[in-house]
Amino acid sequence: MVIILAGIALAGLILSKKPGHSEKNTKRDNLPAASDYQNSSDVDLPNSSGVIKEAKAMPVYGHWRNFTTKDGLPSDKAYTVRIDGDRVLVGTHDGLAVYENEKWHTYTTKDGLAHNGVVSVDVSELTGDVWIGTLGGLTRWSSGKFTTFNQFNSGLPNDLVYCVYCDGKDIWVATGGGAGHYDTQTGLWDIFTEQNAPMHEPWTYGVSAGGSKVYIAAWGGGVIEYDNKTKRFRDYTDPDGFMEIDLQPDDGVVHDITTATSYNDSILWVSTYFGMSRYDGKNWKGYFNTDSGLASNFINFLRAEGRVVFVCSDNGLSSTDGTTWVTYKKDDNSENGKAIITTGNEKKEIPLSPSISHNFIIGVDAKDDILWVATSKGVSRGELLK
Amino acid sequence: MKPRVLLLLILILISVLPFSLLNGQEKTKNYGNIPDELVAYDKYMKAYKYHFLEPIQFYGSGREKLPPADLKEIRIGFLGPLEGSVILPLGKQMLQGTMLAIEEANKKGGYKGIPYKLMIHNDVGLWGAAANEVVKMDDEKVWAFLGTIDDNNSHIALRATLKLEILNINTGDPDPTFTETNIPWGIRVIPDDRQSGYVLVDRVFKQDKHSRVAVIRANNRYGRVGILHFNRSATRVGYPIIIEERFSDGETDFKEQLERIKKTLPDAIVLWGNAKESALILKQIRDLGMKQPVYGSDRMVNPEFLEIAGPLAEGVVTTCQYNPDANDPKLKAFKVNYLKRFGQEPDVFAAHAYDGTNMLIEAIEKVGLNRVLIRDVLTDMKTFQGYQGVTGKVIFDATWNNIRPIFITEVTNGKFKFSPAPPLEKSEQIYKRPKSGDSY
Repeated sequence: MVIILAGIALAGLILSKKPGHSEKNTKRDNLPAASDYQNSSDVDLPNSSGVIKEAKAMPVYGHWRNFTTKDGLPSDKAYTVRIDGDRVLVGTHDGLAVYENEKWHTYTTKDGLAHNGVVSVDVSELTGDVWIGTLGGLTRWSSGKFTTFNQFNSGLPNDLVYCVYCDGKDIWVATGGGAGHYDTQTGLWDIFTEQNAPMHEPWTYGVSAGGSKVYIAAWGGGVIEYDNKTKRFRDYTDPDGFMEIDLQPDDGVVHDITTATSYNDSILWVSTYFGMSRYDGKNWKGYFNTDSGLASNFINFLRAEGRVVFVCSDNGLSSTDGTTWVTYKKDDNSENGKAIITTGNEKKEIPLSPSISHNFIIGVDAKDDILWVATSKGVSRGELLK
Repeated sequence: MKPRVLLLLILILISVLPFSLLNGQEKTKNYGNIPDELVAYDKYMKAYKYHFLEPIQFYGSGREKLPPADLKEIRIGFLGPLEGSVILPLGKQMLQGTMLAIEEANKKGGYKGIPYKLMIHNDVGLWGAAANEVVKMDDEKVWAFLGTIDDNNSHIALRATLKLEILNINTGDPDPTFTETNIPWGIRVIPDDRQSGYVLVDRVFKQDKHSRVAVIRANNRYGRVGILHFNRSATRVGYPIIIEERFSDGETDFKEQLERIKKTLPDAIVLWGNAKESALILKQIRDLGMKQPVYGSDRMVNPEFLEIAGPLAEGVVTTCQYNPDANDPKLKAFKVNYLKRFGQEPDVFAAHAYDGTNMLIEAIEKVGLNRVLIRDVLTDMKTFQGYQGVTGKVIFDATWNNIRPIFITEVTNGKFKFSPAPPLEKSEQIYKRPKSGDSY
């Protein structure tokens, strides 16, 4: 009713205007021509540009360098990437690739990995140990020695380890057969499934921690929260209860099939194959590609660094602070691409040459001014544009 | 622009503005053959976003990969319950259906003279075994895989397909949520329990005019998810289920559950479980003197049900994903060849496995040995849309779920008699509420 009354009032206003004063649409196109910007790989963002306002609000990365098997990766299919001091750890379909001093070195089952398919890597801040989630078990890389945990020699819930996360002395894993917790000090395992946690099924795919809580992305079960203090669980699911719809925007996690969680700056970010959600401890906010700058609703993984979350979708890499979006996309037929900056209805593009190596993004990590991206066809390294 | 024209435009804008305020997407059609009156929340409000209206694309790389030059066999994966499972007979039939299709293809020369080889994997084992078996199939370098039946194992396997990029052609799991995951590496050729639920709602409430319906279902994912859309739909048409009891696989004494059901004075009972337990429940229903008509799920369409239930099976109504008695030369030839090869009649799992395997073989022949291209051609909604198998047509919805019309069966003279299931149409009858004070 309010809308109708407002419309009638607006119509009245227009009618009261004198005829013959038709207004041309003078609104300028928000998308600048590519020539408005210099090649971002050659120079940094121009300070005089309006884009710099968005760049200040949100980091924008350029000067991309791409690495594939031609450069020494064991496989072009990269599942995960983690920055570990001066080196970078990349999980691929055919082994763990370590980038150090401008060179790649590959570790495989011959070196002691549980399986060559490395889908998740994390580094313990406490010990410096590297924990490697593979398609065939969990491996700890400590002091140059690989130790494997599997279903037969440990309490690992399942050998397919989709995600590993180090939280102090605790190692958390999300597997195809439940979530697992390993206490590195006691050597004891806990297994969490639908039998002892509020999961619909025992299938978990992501895990992260923060604010003394652990957040498990459970397939069909939304987000399972574990409170380290109370040792209790609670779950967050899509309130409408139907797979085929999202009934109300911002009413909860956008879908029950969750793929990853990441907690930082008091915000929990949750990815799904249907969109993304943000939870500040009180309110949920949902994001779709139809109402935000999100590259695609199909999200493989996400990682929050400070107030910014990096979102790995099947059709581009997005980053956002919840308001401004920066999405990186490679052109179909060249090595070039662009960064698309979106704030509300405003959209601006920065040409990038080269761009990220592929638009199917599977993993991401950021540290200081560097961003690493794992894709379906190689890994990419970007630098913060200043 | 003249003011009157402008005014007209504004009035048009006013009329559509409330709908355009939905920033998600507008509903264009019902996903999954959902009858209009059963669309979730549709009587009360439009959803902010409707999923599954368009097929999801796979944007990953891999289409440029060439197959190895020295292949000696074309490996096809199979995942099914083959050891240590209560549904082992169903898994055996599914495997045999797949084997028959592979053997027939090899008799025709395989793929460019190279024979197909089935890499067989059991999906029962330690927690999440199905996922580990898919990893093994990746190590074996299969081009795609078929299976499985159990809901849990299907989901576990499906998630692994995305990491490993192997297409899963599901031929036996009717769990509606299997294709509702948005993973672009799974398709299903057997119609799902959504369709069964809608058909039973039509039959039970609209045609047979029952209003107090009791449910007894298997206490596993098959029972829980399978009955879900029947229960929800019953509520939406005005007749919520009055009681839902559960039983475990292998259970033989259902007296406790049935006595609770009896006290609720139902006018019909719906069973959702495997053939053996369903037959035993039917017998015990009658032993308790309960004469209510009995309806059930597709798993009851099995010789074991008729054998155990005997004459008591007469009149039982169930759904079935296809008509095994159809007058189709292709189906008849399949049944003859299957009987000759394995010494038993094919069941629904064998028939759908045969179709799914033949689709995969045809896909490989069309696009060659490349996992992504095999996925692409089977999901392009053109090449295999309307594929005519021995079980009927394959009609994919946007999730690659086969939504072709299913069949309803009624046990008559000791045999299952099949007939096409009519679509559920809106009817005043099913919305008619009892008058105040009426009791059942």
